[in-house]
Amino acid sequence: MDLHLDQITHRYDGAPVLDGIDLHIPTGRIVCLVGPSGCGKSTLLRLVGGLERPSEGDIRQIGTPPDGCLNPLTYVFQDFALLPWRTVAGNIALVLEDHGLPKSRIDAVITDVLARTNLSDFRDALPKQLSGGMKQRVAIARALAVEPAVLLMDEPLSALDSQTRELLMEDLVGLWTRQAFTAVYVTHNLDEAVRLGHRIVLLSRRPGRIRDIVEIDTDLADRRAGQADLEEKRAHLWSLMRDEARAADAELVTHG
Amino acid sequence: MADPKDGKPVPFRGGGFAPKPIAWMGPLVFVTLIAAMEIGTRTGVISNLTLPRPSAVLMTFVSLWDTGLLWKHVVPSLSRLAVGAALGATAGIGVGLTIGLFSHIRAGLVPVIAAIFPIPKIALLPLFVIWFGIDEASKYALIAFGTFTPTVVATYGAVDSVDRGLIRMGQSFGLSGLSILRKIVLPGALPGILSGLRVSLAIAIILLVAAEMLGAEYGIGAYILEAGSLYDLERLFAGVTILSLLGVGVNWTIGRIERRVLRWRV
Amino acid sequence: MSRFTRRQALGTVAALGALPLIARPALASTKIRLGALRFTSHAASFVALERGYFADAGLDVELEFFQAAQPMAVAVASTDVDYAVTAISGGLISLAEKGAAKVIGGSLSEEPGIDGQKILASNDAFAAGLTDPSKLDGKSFAMTQAGSSFHYMGSKIAAEEGAELHFKPLQKVGAIIGALKTSQVDAWSIVPHIAKPLAAGGSAHIIGNVSDYLPNYQVTTVFTSTKNADQERGQTEAFLAALSKGVDDFNAALVDKTLGEDGADEMVKLIHKYVYADKSLEDATPGIVNGAMRLNKNAALNLASVTDQLDWFKSEGLVKDSIGIDTLVDQSYVDII
Repeated sequence: MDLHLDQITHRYDGAPVLDGIDLHIPTGRIVCLVGPSGCGKSTLLRLVGGLERPSEGDIRQIGTPPDGCLNPLTYVFQDFALLPWRTVAGNIALVLEDHGLPKSRIDAVITDVLARTNLSDFRDALPKQLSGGMKQRVAIARALAVEPAVLLMDEPLSALDSQTRELLMEDLVGLWTRQAFTAVYVTHNLDEAVRLGHRIVLLSRRPGRIRDIVEIDTDLADRRAGQADLEEKRAHLWSLMRDEARAADAELVTHG
Repeated sequence: MADPKDGKPVPFRGGGFAPKPIAWMGPLVFVTLIAAMEIGTRTGVISNLTLPRPSAVLMTFVSLWDTGLLWKHVVPSLSRLAVGAALGATAGIGVGLTIGLFSHIRAGLVPVIAAIFPIPKIALLPLFVIWFGIDEASKYALIAFGTFTPTVVATYGAVDSVDRGLIRMGQSFGLSGLSILRKIVLPGALPGILSGLRVSLAIAIILLVAAEMLGAEYGIGAYILEAGSLYDLERLFAGVTILSLLGVGVNWTIGRIERRVLRWRV
Repeated sequence: MSRFTRRQALGTVAALGALPLIARPALASTKIRLGALRFTSHAASFVALERGYFADAGLDVELEFFQAAQPMAVAVASTDVDYAVTAISGGLISLAEKGAAKVIGGSLSEEPGIDGQKILASNDAFAAGLTDPSKLDGKSFAMTQAGSSFHYMGSKIAAEEGAELHFKPLQKVGAIIGALKTSQVDAWSIVPHIAKPLAAGGSAHIIGNVSDYLPNYQVTTVFTSTKNADQERGQTEAFLAALSKGVDDFNAALVDKTLGEDGADEMVKLIHKYVYADKSLEDATPGIVNGAMRLNKNAALNLASVTDQLDWFKSEGLVKDSIGIDTLVDQSYVDII
């Protein structure tokens, strides 16, 4: 299932946040949204997932979600958003319970996604017992459990330290390699973008407009930190972003 | 480079402001106070009009136990407390949830709650007698009303403090409104509701005495009031001690419940 | 004032004449506080104050008003109030046991032939057959608090009739009246100036007289702190003497009615300053006249009645068994009858 964004403009209390965004998200690809802080990339993600309605323009799903998909547009949040009173298995069960699945089916799905994210040993642990990286793995497992058509990832690695981030990036690459998924991946970190993105969309500072779109054809599994071609793309993106970021940094905060 | 031995040690400026549990301190204060009362009343430093002799209070307690009067007073009080507080807390949690969830109800009810919260419920006792009679119903109503308002305030405060991120998460996974309420809002609000209940139930115990002012032959409150009107300090203190123990018991019970259901808290 | 009577004229002259007397150096005024309820039964205090009997005795009396008998006893024990007139309550006996208070005289009494306290039945209870105190068995009986005079009266009536009563503590007379009017309690006993208007207004039924069960019941007594009784003999005697003059005036005007209508009117007017002051004189008069029961001459004390009350409190377990009558009463001040 592809997603197509047509002339998306969004305003908060009349102040424009996003301006005329046209974007295509093809099936089986990871599209990274990068930009200086406050450029509206997280807002754009909320619009894509239907948590907010755009002021103008529309967002269309093209084609049908795959069979067995329970929640076509599924988020992975920066702060994990796990229920602290439910175990790992309980958190995953939460998103399956409303669909009237038999208990055995729910258990099977949980076992499967925990295996895919290497969490089988933590099935009955409470979130407070897990490290940040583990929590995000649980959140990813939860997202996978509903067989999403598109994963909407909002800075999923930003709350983690750099080693954990590196490990999780490898996990994501592994997951994608085994079974290609479609994702919109918001980050302010260009390293993540060049490691995980097939297409990198650079937004300008507020109101966010598309400054540039960079395609990287290298297979995800073949990308390594510090690789020359990736480094080049990164440098290109940074040169475009630098002034925007500086200007954005000097702005008074009007919207979070 | 200077010799390190010439320097002076860095002065220590930390410490304090970190409460540590000291188990023996509480009992020590109690024992000291009671001992001082006993000695003071025995020697006459404290007149028998001012305070009763603790040993005499204990004897009163023992005779209450021996004669079986203790249960005759405690059982009706406990049932009034249980029924009244259960009614008030249930209604309070219900109203608190609707205030927490619906803007219209919040806008409509919060001023009403703010208006009735500071009313001393004891002042309404005559009104309750007209509405509910002088039998058990008015006692239940008074205690229920007294526990209702603090529970409402605690509950909607607790609902407000539920992590909005979790609710967004629920919505993003397409959970139904009822599921979000049952599985996210309620458990998330539970810590706040329980700590609100500590306050509400303490108020319920306070109101027990007021509730038993009218038409109660038996009950701890009635017993205390009778002791007060007879100026019988031993009975008065025995009754007050029972109330204190009741308060400690309620607090302990909520503590146990919290430890059980809030295991997940960091 | 349409009519300037001879009596009023005399009163004015007497009051003017009293002025130099107050200044007599031998009786430089002692300031004392006197506890009272706004009931006709406390009229002697009002009369003695208004007519200057206290002032004549060198006492500068200040009235302290209370809502109920029990707090008055505590106030006397704590010496916030020097003297008080009220019913014997469990609280008073307990305070006497602690050496803080003493009964020194008698005041309001039940007396055969004089209208006294009434036994009331609620309308519903009356309709259901409670037409006579002999049918009280199993009924509820209102009282302010355990150990109050209502509790005593109810118990004695029940004992006499072999009835079992459920006592309902309702704290305040107002609350009792409300409960009786709405038939939430079955029976009560109360002074006539409250009982009669309730019956007349159709809110309750009078089914008997307390005096039939408790003849010569010493309803209220005069009491003070043990310190005043033991150490301020002169002041206490002067107080009792002045109060007795008030008693005589009151009995003459409203109980024995020897002063004619004018005397009665004037007494009612005086009492009205303190009792039912929120009503007009016309509205207040029946209440005041109805409430006129005998006050003991010279504050004499009916020791037999007091002893009976003490024994009842003991038998109910409301006060300690060890209390003797001399702990409660200082018999050295007034005649014992």
